[in-house]
Amino acid sequence: MSPSRPLRGLAGFLLVAGGVLVALRVLHVGVPLIFPGTRPGPFSVASLEEARGRLGFAPLVPAYRPATLGAGPPSLTVTLGPHPTFLAVWRGAHSLSLTQRRGGPAPSHPPTSQALGGVADSRWWREGPANHLVLRRGEFWVTVVTDLPARDLRRIADTLGPYSAGGPGPARAGLRAPPSG
Amino acid sequence: MIPAAWYAPLPSFLWQVALHSAIAGVVLYGWARRLRLRSGRSKRHLLALLLVLPLLTAAIPGRTSLEFRERRAWLDSGRLLAIPLVAGVRVSHVVLLVGLTMVALTLWQEVLPALRRSGARGDNAPEPLARLARGLPGWERCAVTLRRADALLLATGGWPWRPRVIVSRGALARLSDDELAMALRHEHAHWQQGRWARSHALFAVRLLQCYSPVALWTFREYCLEVEIECDAAAVAGRDARPLTRALLAVYESTDRRDVAARAALRRRADVLLGDDRLDDDALPVATIATAAATLVAILPWLV
Repeated sequence: MSPSRPLRGLAGFLLVAGGVLVALRVLHVGVPLIFPGTRPGPFSVASLEEARGRLGFAPLVPAYRPATLGAGPPSLTVTLGPHPTFLAVWRGAHSLSLTQRRGGPAPSHPPTSQALGGVADSRWWREGPANHLVLRRGEFWVTVVTDLPARDLRRIADTLGPYSAGGPGPARAGLRAPPSG
Repeated sequence: MIPAAWYAPLPSFLWQVALHSAIAGVVLYGWARRLRLRSGRSKRHLLALLLVLPLLTAAIPGRTSLEFRERRAWLDSGRLLAIPLVAGVRVSHVVLLVGLTMVALTLWQEVLPALRRSGARGDNAPEPLARLARGLPGWERCAVTLRRADALLLATGGWPWRPRVIVSRGALARLSDDELAMALRHEHAHWQQGRWARSHALFAVRLLQCYSPVALWTFREYCLEVEIECDAAAVAGRDARPLTRALLAVYESTDRRDVAARAALRRRADVLLGDDRLDDDALPVATIATAAATLVAILPWLV
């Protein structure tokens, strides 16, 4: 190395830093392959049963689902960290997304939001064409966003119940994704 | 999964500091080994960089969201922290345990001794020694205190407006006048050219990272480098043997179990005797600045 070069020694630094970065990337990609539980998600899941298995709690789903939400199954997504979260989205002529999160701070809501009549621990507001509803159900925060009429929010809130594989729960029908292929 | 509290603002910042410190430490250590970097200014700059840089890169906001960690980050350390070990214990538990141990170690080995030194009272030192100390530039108001201890101790404390030299009876009994004079010059060098201010500023930075083993190691290496620098300043243009003999006397009086202290003394003696020379210009400032800028650009992507 020539002592006159103003950046002498830098090539060695870049080589070492590059090696360390590659090693870290290998860890980032490789660890979840060996320990699948280390990835926080989000994961697409095919059924509520699978969502329950991954989350460790039964997802809450509304028994009231108007036909305008479409006949197809909802898309189901699970996130394990930092707070276990379940997301179900129905899309048809209207759409409905339901997010259920265990723990953590309350979902943000505007100061103009108000309690939904007859629904405990709720905040409701309208934003453009979408109605928003935030509910507290035990240790869970539930957020509903839909372009269904506002009167449907109460029905959705009233019929919200935990998914049960065996019982006549609200969420059995029409919630399984069709087998792939 | 690791607890959600890990991603709260303060724990997340503290973890990012430790993570960036560890990664930058590996990179800089690997680079220094590759260069066979000797003691000197370049090494001190790299060590100071390693202490300060993680506090800056970890403070960049907006990187703890799941979206960032899963889609944009080069490394999501949450995956490593969530690796299961045994009986429900995960890597995150081990990291917490190491952090708590380091806090205890810092209190025991660094904070308590510093408090003891600052509050130490003793007798007045012999007049010739006090005169010798006060004859050094800037030390006209220096307090020279005699500690009633048989251990071989010669150290400085106090503040820039009132420096203090502490010398033990053991040091007076076992060091010759030449050796004492050189040891005093070494202590005096700690107060020259901004070394006191830099060391104390980095000590504060190190205390902010009291849970990080990398910060502890880095600060100790930095202190050793400053000792070597002060040795060189003390013997500049003079015979190095009296200071080497003083170091040897301290070495021999140090408990054999204190491996780290004895290794540091050996290294200082090696440099003084010329077995391991100083190299202040091993790396150009532009190289160190570019390496720092590269780390600033890289580290925020490791969360």
